[in-house]
Amino acid sequence: MNDFSELEAELKKLRPRAVSPDLRARIEVNLAETEAAGRGTATAGVLPKQRRFRPNWFALGLGLAAAATFLILARVNVDRPSKSTGLALLTPAPITPAAKALDSFVPAAMTQVVYDTKDEGLHFADGQDEPMRRLRSRKRETVQWKNPQTGASLRVSYPKEEVTLIPISGQ
Amino acid sequence: MEDVVTHEEDWKSCFAELGPGLVLFARQFVRSIADAEDIVQDAFVRFWRKQHSVNDPPSPGFCVASRGLLYATVRSTALDLLRRDARRARREATASADMEQITEPQFDFDDGSQRALVAAVDLLPVEQREVLVMKIWNELTFAEIASALSISQNTAASRYRYALAALKKNFVVHE
Repeated sequence: MNDFSELEAELKKLRPRAVSPDLRARIEVNLAETEAAGRGTATAGVLPKQRRFRPNWFALGLGLAAAATFLILARVNVDRPSKSTGLALLTPAPITPAAKALDSFVPAAMTQVVYDTKDEGLHFADGQDEPMRRLRSRKRETVQWKNPQTGASLRVSYPKEEVTLIPISGQ
Repeated sequence: MEDVVTHEEDWKSCFAELGPGLVLFARQFVRSIADAEDIVQDAFVRFWRKQHSVNDPPSPGFCVASRGLLYATVRSTALDLLRRDARRARREATASADMEQITEPQFDFDDGSQRALVAAVDLLPVEQREVLVMKIWNELTFAEIASALSISQNTAASRYRYALAALKKNFVVHE
């Protein structure tokens, strides 16, 4: 005979509290969602939790920083020609036959950057009686073409050396 | 359509039979009915979906036959919940340690004698209480209890006997 039979009987008289109707309704909704999602789509028994929006501040900050960097660099690229107006000359590129040859590319800009100018003193040019001052300039020229339809651009950059003879007058 | 209706009837009858016991079992891990019901909701849906996908449609009586698995799912869901929410775990641990805690009653009782019995059950260690709950109010066999708790049947039976002995010591059965 079980020593605890009386106690077990007393325990069994206790009635667990009834389940709330709300719980039954919630389960019904969950299972209905499963049905709606298609039969047999259950995974390894893992119930997807309700999604709560939790911003990933690190990723968000990183994204914003990247976007800001991109904008700054884009701005610098746009501004660069006008910043160097002291040394560079920005002129509308002449329409040349070579440019016309480029299919649908139109000249957009030409930039000259003078990075070295040297005064080589007075020289007598051939057949001249008067001396002339010779200036030697080293430059870099950049010519840019753009395709208005596609937005593609083509840029050619090359070094250039220029010698200028300036007549001396009234000295 | 008929399948869906049958499916609904299946889970409803299964839940009607086991629901109160499952909530009572979940209450052994948390101190509020709301938390216990959340656990049961999660576990029952997981259990049902898994059974439904493995055994489509479920065979008659599978619900009762898989009680051990269902209780194991409730238990692991409850422990996951406690682990996930460290603050809650601390709160529950504090509440468990505090004997003057205010908890929602797990049972409907008629008299002071039953109230005292419930209080004595509450004083049992969790390992004994969960075995007692499964055995007395859910009528699981020791084999099912052992399966749900991943322990041997002997251990399950021992815990049950220790629980009854402790209750008997603290509670005198009234005629």
